[in-house]
Amino acid sequence: MSTAEQVELEVRPQRQDEVALAWLLLLGGMVGLVASSVLIAEKIALLTDPTYVPSCSVNPVLNCGSVMSTAQAEVFGFPNPILGVAAFPVLVTTGATLLAGGRLAAWYWRGLQVGVTLGLGFVLWLAFQSLYRIGALCPYCMVVWAVVWPTFLYVTLRNLRVGIFGTAIQRSRLNRVLGDWHAPVLLGGYLVVLVLVGVRFWSYWSTLL
Amino acid sequence: MRTQTKAALGIGAALAAILAALIILLVVNPDGDEPAASAETGEDSVLVRSDSHVLGEEGDSGVTFVEFLDFECEACGAVFPVVEQLREDYSGRVTFVARYFPLEGHFNSERAARAVESAARQGEFEAMYQKMYETQSTWAEAQVPKDDVFRGFAEELGLDLEQYDADYASEEVLARVRKDVADGESLGVQGTPTIYVDGELFQPESVQDFYDTLDEALAK
Repeated sequence: MSTAEQVELEVRPQRQDEVALAWLLLLGGMVGLVASSVLIAEKIALLTDPTYVPSCSVNPVLNCGSVMSTAQAEVFGFPNPILGVAAFPVLVTTGATLLAGGRLAAWYWRGLQVGVTLGLGFVLWLAFQSLYRIGALCPYCMVVWAVVWPTFLYVTLRNLRVGIFGTAIQRSRLNRVLGDWHAPVLLGGYLVVLVLVGVRFWSYWSTLL
Repeated sequence: MRTQTKAALGIGAALAAILAALIILLVVNPDGDEPAASAETGEDSVLVRSDSHVLGEEGDSGVTFVEFLDFECEACGAVFPVVEQLREDYSGRVTFVARYFPLEGHFNSERAARAVESAARQGEFEAMYQKMYETQSTWAEAQVPKDDVFRGFAEELGLDLEQYDADYASEEVLARVRKDVADGESLGVQGTPTIYVDGELFQPESVQDFYDTLDEALAK
């Protein structure tokens, strides 16, 4: 086997991964943007008419009305979804840039890593608040959780692979294992949250049985 | 098949199963939306059990005003003074019934209900009920147990504290509270306050609505 072929073999799956990540950023960003926009629209409707029942208030557990009117819904003094409307388009643009054949410098990827890490941290905090402090779930918010998780995971895996975090981590066994096990890790994350939701609201679900 | 693929398939299947179960529960269940529009009000009905707490004296008209309430809920606290006024204005005519419906999202609401039920066991339901709402702003919305605050109320009311402590911690009192919740849930009650006037679900928009609805019920 010639060296050229070897390089080709090693590079090709990476290229495929990169395209998949681009699509994830593009589509995930769009989904997140739609969910955030709907939340803002609902928030405005709720502000202009306090008796307004948001479209996602399905039952006492699935209820954005009760979630949206909490202090946690405005951590920084303005409704959280404004952050989503500002940040998700960045993912969309990044995905589109990659698909259009653009190459992004390492510093851009580092910046994106900071962004998705903050995003995941915020979403985890919100999920905790929603489950254990507010005691209700807001479906559109959960769409945002569902989008931020794979975005964080795959941007991080990509950066690990490319060596953004340094070559030591890039060559580490952990990195290889994570890369191999990305699908179980992704689905496992969803499973954990779903099980927590099931357990936390079991007394309600059981009334529906 | 690679181990990773198998693991992914396994977790994926578990995810799909749980999601499907939740969706089926939500879609199939018909009373997931609104509380029942009306319910029986006879003796020992779901709405008024023989052991349900009546505020003050029973009225002679047979008209009942049943409120599913949560001592920690702000809206219930807002309705409280209205109900107190109504009790005065319709005294002797309308029967006012309070049903416990502590909501899960409120850390101390079940504790408050247990405290009130414990007071009820010493004949002080009404005093404790009033105490809870009058002091609501001082203890509500906390994420730590307020057992001591409630015990303080019991002391102020001159209850036998030994008995109160035993009741407060008892399975029996908890079961009594949960029984009210179960009745509420069977009616589809989801939030508080949920009010039934003469067995009809009543969703007031103003204080005047209370008077109009009660007058109408009395005129029947």
